[in-house]
Amino acid sequence: MNDILTVTGLTRSFGHVVANDNISLRIPPGEVVGLLGHNGAGKTTLVSQLIGLLRPDEGTIRLGELDAVANPAAARRIVAVQAQSQAPLDGLTARAAIEIACRLRGLSTSQAKAATRTVAQELDIEAYLDRRALPEGGGLSGGIRRLTAFAMAAAAPTPLLVLDEPTNDVDAARRRLLWHAVRRRADEGAGVLLVTHNVTEAERIVDELVILDQGKVVASGSPVEIRGTRDSDLRLELQLPFTEADPTRNGSVEVTPPPFASRVRRGRNVILTLASVHAAQAVKWANALRSDEVIGGYSLAPSSLEDAYLAYTSANKDHNQFDEVEADV
Amino acid sequence: MSNPTTRQVNLPRRTYEPPKATLWASFAALLRWELLQVGTMLPLIVVVQAMLGAGIVIGFGFVIPDIDESTAMFLSTGTPAMLLLTIGLVLVPQAVSRMRLDGTFEFMRSLPVPRSLMLAVELTVWSAIALPGVAIGVLVGQLRYDLTLSIHWPMLIGAGVLVTVMATAIGYAIAVSLQPMLAQLFSQVLVFFVMLFSPITFPASQLPQWFQTLHEFLPIQAGADLLRAGLASQIYEAGWREAIVLLIWCVAGVAVTLRALTQRK
Repeated sequence: MNDILTVTGLTRSFGHVVANDNISLRIPPGEVVGLLGHNGAGKTTLVSQLIGLLRPDEGTIRLGELDAVANPAAARRIVAVQAQSQAPLDGLTARAAIEIACRLRGLSTSQAKAATRTVAQELDIEAYLDRRALPEGGGLSGGIRRLTAFAMAAAAPTPLLVLDEPTNDVDAARRRLLWHAVRRRADEGAGVLLVTHNVTEAERIVDELVILDQGKVVASGSPVEIRGTRDSDLRLELQLPFTEADPTRNGSVEVTPPPFASRVRRGRNVILTLASVHAAQAVKWANALRSDEVIGGYSLAPSSLEDAYLAYTSANKDHNQFDEVEADV
Repeated sequence: MSNPTTRQVNLPRRTYEPPKATLWASFAALLRWELLQVGTMLPLIVVVQAMLGAGIVIGFGFVIPDIDESTAMFLSTGTPAMLLLTIGLVLVPQAVSRMRLDGTFEFMRSLPVPRSLMLAVELTVWSAIALPGVAIGVLVGQLRYDLTLSIHWPMLIGAGVLVTVMATAIGYAIAVSLQPMLAQLFSQVLVFFVMLFSPITFPASQLPQWFQTLHEFLPIQAGADLLRAGLASQIYEAGWREAIVLLIWCVAGVAVTLRALTQRK
């Protein structure tokens, strides 16, 4: 039992809405765990309970040996959070903001200055350190503000780092630096909970994934496990002509369709996930569909985590009328 | 791509029990944050408060024709209470409401910050803003009406601290208990109540009896009387009763504030 975070049976409701429904997850030291979910899936509610801003209705939160529900003040020393909303930096320079955050986390003045320099080098924001954020978005750009907020959370060492959409507004080069900085903190022994709905980015950095849908954990495991049966799964995307019916439904050609693990309908596209052994049959079937003009075109590629994610989160959904899904993964 | 940088200063390791900031370090960090946020507006706020101090003394003088010495004394010695109460009951809730609206409040609550320090920082900043105004108000009163004060320093300092803490704590409590817009509206009402319907610059005997009774239990007259007795101890008297009324309101304000700051929804 050396996990940095252990959440067990966490439940929290707001009126009739169950925002977190019996959630369990764990983060060992050195691991980056991605928490994926649509808007309103309950991600922020979960984070707020970790740092004692919300009280759970049921369940336990342990940070190492600490009962975080009973000791919220101690929990806030162990967990550093970068919130999804922009940090209130107006009037502060990036340097002052990061140093203040370090001092509040118990670093000495010299440690705070050193940690600020280090994290600024890591993120390549040294040139902006002494620029002042002004009201109404002046002074510092949204991306630099976001990186400053990340630095405020990550400069002082904490056992658990929670990042809520840390790369929003950040340019591609610094995004990469930020992911390196996250990885480095995990390699130094921290646990990282990465809250996001950007599946493609998450895939590159996380060790484990937890998918949250309507307050419940609908899947968890490594990206490979989540993605499907095996890492070699393929994704066949069929582009339907305007108003054409779904060919996977009506067996419109003589060629037998390949067996598929999941089916997602998005607008005029149908996306099938299938095992690689069925590639030849899939191509044959798709070609037959195309020559009969049942489909406009198709593409076959390695399946992505996003496909699996959509299959999990859209299975019992009515809010996303563009997705119509059958999942059997 | 930058290489992983070596740390020049040894930082505590991540898996260890993280260090705990001392109260003083946290207070200093929060104070720095607050002062940077107010920024260049700070001197302006101090100047405006000082002008208000002088303005109350001179302006209320115009309301009263042929002002005699005792009325002038009452008015001048009421000015500090007027300033401290309007700052605590009006400016503090407005500032805290702004912090709630722009996200500073919730952001600070997510950090390892002892909740009482958030109130202490607000108290410090607003006391610093109020002090020059109070001094100038008293000084202008002396010069304008040629008054001679008889200052009782222990009483004056004690009363000043009590009134400031009471007003700031109640103001903070209003800001954290009501929705931001409602808090700002309520503080507007309080301005009128303090300036026009409270026996600060005029004697309580000019109010209807029921209103006098009400003010015996509110902290406004108690604070004003205590400060007045500190400034002109040979003319005015105040004592334990006023101090106790203030203290009760102080405790209530701090309790409501701390409860709101530590509350988990």
